[in-house]
Formats: sequence, C-alpha cells, structure tokens
Amino acid sequence: MVPKGVLVDITKCVGCGSCTVACKLWNNLKYDGTPADGKDAALGAESWTAVKWVEAPKDGETVWRFVKNQCLHCHQPACASACFSKAIKKTADGPVVYDEKLCVGCRYCMLACPFNIPKYEWDKSFPRVRKCQMCAGRIAKGETPACVGVCPAGALTFGEYNELAGLAAERIQKGGYINHIYGEKEAGGASWLYISDVPFKDLGFRTDVTTRPLPEYSESILKLTPAVGLGWGAVLTGIYVYNRRRNEIAREEGEKNKK
Amino acid sequence: MEDHLKLEKEVTRRSFLKMMGGLGLSGLALTLAGCENNTAVNAGGDGWLPQQYQIAGTWPAQVRGRVPIEASNPSIVRDDQKCVLCGQCLEICRNTQTVYGHYGFPLINDIVCINCGQCSLWCPTGAIAERDDTEKVLQALQDPDKYVVVQTAPATRVALGEEFGLPPGSWVMGQQVAALRRLGFKQVFDTNFTADLTIMEEATELIKRVKGELKKPLPQFTSCSPGWVKFCEYFYPDLFPNMSSCKSPQQMMGALVKTYFAKTKNIDPEKIYSVAIMPCTAKKFEAQRPEMNDSGHYWKKQSLQDVDAVLTTRELARLLKRKGIDLNSLPEESYDPLLGKSTGGAIIFGATGGVMEAAVRTAYFFITQQEPPAQLLSLTPVRGLSGVKEAAVDIPGVGTVRVAICHGMGNGRQVLEAVRRGEAPWHFVEFMSCPGGCQSGGGQPRTSVPPSDEVRQKRMASLYSADVRMEWRESHENSEVLALYQNFLGHPMSELAEELLHTDYVDRGKSFKQLASEELPDKV
Repeated sequence: MVPKGVLVDITKCVGCGSCTVACKLWNNLKYDGTPADGKDAALGAESWTAVKWVEAPKDGETVWRFVKNQCLHCHQPACASACFSKAIKKTADGPVVYDEKLCVGCRYCMLACPFNIPKYEWDKSFPRVRKCQMCAGRIAKGETPACVGVCPAGALTFGEYNELAGLAAERIQKGGYINHIYGEKEAGGASWLYISDVPFKDLGFRTDVTTRPLPEYSESILKLTPAVGLGWGAVLTGIYVYNRRRNEIAREEGEKNKK
Repeated sequence: MEDHLKLEKEVTRRSFLKMMGGLGLSGLALTLAGCENNTAVNAGGDGWLPQQYQIAGTWPAQVRGRVPIEASNPSIVRDDQKCVLCGQCLEICRNTQTVYGHYGFPLINDIVCINCGQCSLWCPTGAIAERDDTEKVLQALQDPDKYVVVQTAPATRVALGEEFGLPPGSWVMGQQVAALRRLGFKQVFDTNFTADLTIMEEATELIKRVKGELKKPLPQFTSCSPGWVKFCEYFYPDLFPNMSSCKSPQQMMGALVKTYFAKTKNIDPEKIYSVAIMPCTAKKFEAQRPEMNDSGHYWKKQSLQDVDAVLTTRELARLLKRKGIDLNSLPEESYDPLLGKSTGGAIIFGATGGVMEAAVRTAYFFITQQEPPAQLLSLTPVRGLSGVKEAAVDIPGVGTVRVAICHGMGNGRQVLEAVRRGEAPWHFVEFMSCPGGCQSGGGQPRTSVPPSDEVRQKRMASLYSADVRMEWRESHENSEVLALYQNFLGHPMSELAEELLHTDYVDRGKSFKQLASEELPDKV
C-alpha cells in the first residue's frame, strides 16, 4: 500500500470549521463545550481536530490565520513506540491508529507525543485515549478522511504522501509561502504536512521539535539490551565458574593438606 | 452422595481460577500476537456523513462545507451541533450573493460577510440563525429609567403574521403596532416615515447630480440596504462616488428619534433606548457602525448611538410568543404621531424596485412641480422578480431618465461591472442585497425553506396593494415629513439634514486580496 498523507495549506483556510463538524459527525463525537473553532479552540477527548484562529504578524500588519490541529500521524510515532501493549500502531496506509481493546490506560503515549495530541477521558470509569485516526477505515476503502472531503476552500489535500511533498514544494516555489514544510522533517517526518505564508512559530506550532525520529532515542539505548543482557550473563557465568573452580581447588588443596 | 462429592472435588476454586487465568493469558497472547488486526478499519468512524460526501476515491463533493462565520458577527450565529454540512449556506453565499469564493487568499484580517443573513433562510436545520438580541430589548423595557421607542420596517408588516399561522403576505400592520404597545414600547414609530424622508433626500441628491450642481458621477446608487452597502465597500470601493450619501431609513429614524423627537417632547436623549424591528440581519451590523452616532454629535455626547438594538421579524415573533401575546387576537392600532405617517411610496420600499418607483414619483414632482401621470404610480417594468430590471421614464424638462433595479448581489455585480466599464446608461440604480428585496430579507420568517418565489410574490403583492389603498402615494405628500423640514431640518440636503441623514462609507477593499474578474468563480 502506498502511504497516504494530507497537505494543509494554511493560506487557503477561511476558518469555517467544516472539518471539525465532519470529524464530530463521522466519529460520533460529542459536543462537550470545548470550542472546535475560534480563538479558544483546543483538542480534547471529543474534539479530534480543532481550527484555531491566530493573529500573526506579517509585513508589518496583523493578519488572521486559521490553524487546523489534529494528530500529525508521524512516520515513526513516539506514541506507538511508547505503547507497550500495542494499542497504538502505525498502519501501512499512513494513519496512526488506536485500539481501545488493547489499551491499558497507562498514558505513556500522551507523555511521549511531542505535539501533545492524545487526550484522555478523565471523566470516564473506563477511560480511553482519544485522538485523530485519520479516518483509517475510509482510507482503507479509498475515500478521503472526513475533514478533507468537506473542506470547501481547498485548504486540505489528500493523496499519496510522496506526491503531496512534491505539491508542497511546488507551491512554495511559486511564491507566497515561507520555505518550510512543517511535518516533513519534524519528529522524523509525518503524514500530515503544512505550508504557510507566516512562520510556523507565530502560528503556535512547536518548532523546537527534533528532526530525528523520537523512537530512535530510546532505541539507541534499548538496542543494547540483548548485548548487555547476554554480556552481563556471560560475566556472571564467568564469575560463577571462576568461583566454583576456585572453591574446588581450595577444597582439593585442603583435603591434600589434611592428608 | 458420593458422586456429588466427587463433582465438587473436580471444580475447586483453585482449578477454576487456574482455568480463567489460562484463558485470559492465551487471549492476551493471541491479541498481542496481532490475531485481531482489523484495528485500522475499526478506528473511529462509527458516525455518519451526509450522502454527498460518501464518494469513493478522492472525488470532491459538488456541494460541500459551509460558510465561515466569525464568532463576533453581529448579525448571524451558528450552532455547530445542528450543522450537517449540507452546503446550502455556501451555495447561496457563493452563487447568489457572490461573496464566498469572490475574495482572494490568503485572508488579511476579516472574514468577508455582508451580513445579509440569506444563509439563515437556506439552512435546513436552523443551525444558522440571527444573533438573538431579544434579551437586550427585554432588559431595556424593564428598566424604568429608559424611554424605549421602536420603529418597524415596511416589510415586517407583510410577514410577521406568518409566524402566527397566517398565510404569506398577510397584512398585520395594525396588529404589529398593538403588539409592540403591549410589549411596553412607549412610542411606536414607522420606518416608512423615514423611507419617505429618504426619498426626499435621495431624489434631491439625484436631481442635483443630473443638473450638475453636485459634482458626483451618474448613475446614483441607492444606499438603503446595509448588506449592499457593505458589499460595495468590500468589492467596489472605487464606486463610492456613485453611492448616494443618504443613510438608510432605519438610521435616519434613529438619528431623528434622539434629536427631533427628543427635542420636541423634551426627553433626555440619553434615556431614550431606540429599537428597530427589521426584516434584515445586516441592520444589526449597520446599527453598530461607529459612524452611526450622529445624535451623539448633535448633543455632543459621544456615548449616544442612533439605534440601540435591532430585532429581526423572527425575533419579534419570539418575543411576542414568550410574552404570551397573540398577534391574531389584537385590534389594529396606528403609529404614534410625529414620526408615524407614511405614503404608498414608502410602503413599497419593502419590495425590489420599490425605492426606485417611489423616487421616480417624487423626482417627477420635484422637477416638474406636477403630479406624476398614472403610469408612474404603477411602474410595472420595475416590479417583479427578474434579476436586473430597467425602465426609462420621460420627465418634461430633463428628458428621459433611465433607471435600473437589481436584487441579490450576483445581479448587482453585473450592473456594477457595467458601471466600472463605463457602459452604464442609467441615471439611478437601486440595489437590494436580498433576492426579492427587504420582504425576503435574512431576518424574515422562514415560511419556506429554502425561500420560494411564491412566498416572495405574495408578500410583494401585499405591499403593492397597500400602496394603492394609501391616501398619499408620493413621499413628498407626507405631512409629517413636510413638518419635519419646516420645524427642524429646513430643506432637503440642508446642513442639519446632511449632518443627521447622510453618511459616508468605509473602504473595506483592503481587508482581503481583490480578485481579477477572470479569477472569479464561473457562476458570476
């Protein structure tokens, strides 16, 4: 399967919030009072995507921009790497999906995510971690994610990841954008890409994220586990063998001396 | 007995727990091993989307999404919980009003909206509605320190009845006045009065333009539809010189209530709370415009705003129902004097072409000092629901006066483009933001969803038949308007009239990137 992705063109968003409604409709999410669009828009257990209205400086004046937030679906997701019960998985299509049946509720994924995406149902007796699933079921059927399909402004483009990266570069080359595809390198790359005409830092994006895939950090240490395990075993075995041999020799010598 | 004991021995607590533990462990092992790998298909997606979006592949839906509505929009609000993304708001906004999709990206610092409220008439689930100001008005009515007055637009009297079960176009002018008195308004004035006044000012301005006394270009554009005014400010700011400087009747009434009325009745203008009942959501925006505080200038009190609150026809109906007032059971009452008399020319302001017809009647009189001939009292070419209407009227002394009428901003664009190209043969053009004019405004009852021409025609017929019934048909015959000029303003376009009844416009063309005509969507 060819990995899919979504390109968000921030310059084209009008802030209508269609995507947030589509997300609620398709995923059967509740309206719990968290505003899904506007100045106070925020992600939540029942808001998997939110369109935040940001005032940003551009060419000496303040401009309005609308920033759609949701899971970026990293190529090497830190959340999936942190999940020891395999409840979060990266699929071949691109979506990073969550299986509530496997989740033990440890919330390591929430700590691991550099973008602060996964949310928790704090008020439930059997809480789940909630986040955008990139409409994995729709993508599997060849449809676009719900939010992309309803966007009237052409701000969201769904397609094969490699083509999207090219499209983003093409638009940047035509002018009117800053030379930065957010999500191309951040956290080792993600299935969702953003392009914008104002610096991402001014739009509230986290720009101090490492470009190295986060699981690599833990892997750089954890990959030593077999070597350390075997090596330590070998050392201990060696000490054991040595001690046993020494005791044997000592005993034999003692017996000799007795004689 | 022995068998029973044997059985008990076989399933002990220990063996049962062992069995359950074993089953659980093997189940966990199986799932961990990935035996259940349909996670991707089951992740999320247990809701629905409208059929139009259920398309395989990446084919876009024909009708999709919705219009953007800023949270602080003074005219309309949306309830996300009711929105089903049917796309009807977008259709009317983009294709009929030519607003959505007619501005360039990236946006600068405005969500372009002309506040017309047509989307609220098209929304099938009622997600888009007028911003409800009834609470504000109720509070003012309960405040003993406030002197609450109200005005009613020409078009509400042929539509309010629909909210109380009457057929479209039912004439409820008298009952509406009675209902407003029952709500506790101290004075009930008629916006028709200032519609007549608008004609006096606008016809005078037109004649001055035609005669060259006023160095402003022709054609002159009407300026009484606040949705149209904002449209012009957004998309055609270069045509401001063509715009009549007259305020809308609502704002003229607002300015007069807090000056002329307050002075005549010796009431402190700061205690007056001025409410307008309008068929229009854009009037809410208009009343809030910072320059609409000429009564404040007049009294040198900056805090005064000419109109304090605007209720749409729907909100008035809601207010009446809340207070248990049944419109049908009320007697017919008449408007309060001083600012309450009107003519047939004012009544037809509520229909597309009405402003033009009224203006032609009075302009004819102003130029010739004679009563207009009978065909000018029933100027059929300017009536009806065709998108752009034209007429030529022979007026002795100036020759043929050419007029055009358009309603719905898509039609307006055609006329405006012609004016821009310098191909406009007209002297006077009437623009109405809403298709059909005020009677089909964004604040009118949702008698048919989406709005239908059948309802529009019934309301228009009601307005035109009321015109015929009136004692006076021409605006310059209104005795109270004449008294206003005699006692207060002097004459049309006098210095005081200019201060209170005229305005200027705000260039909003820079709040977004203007599109060249070839960049506009096809349907223009």
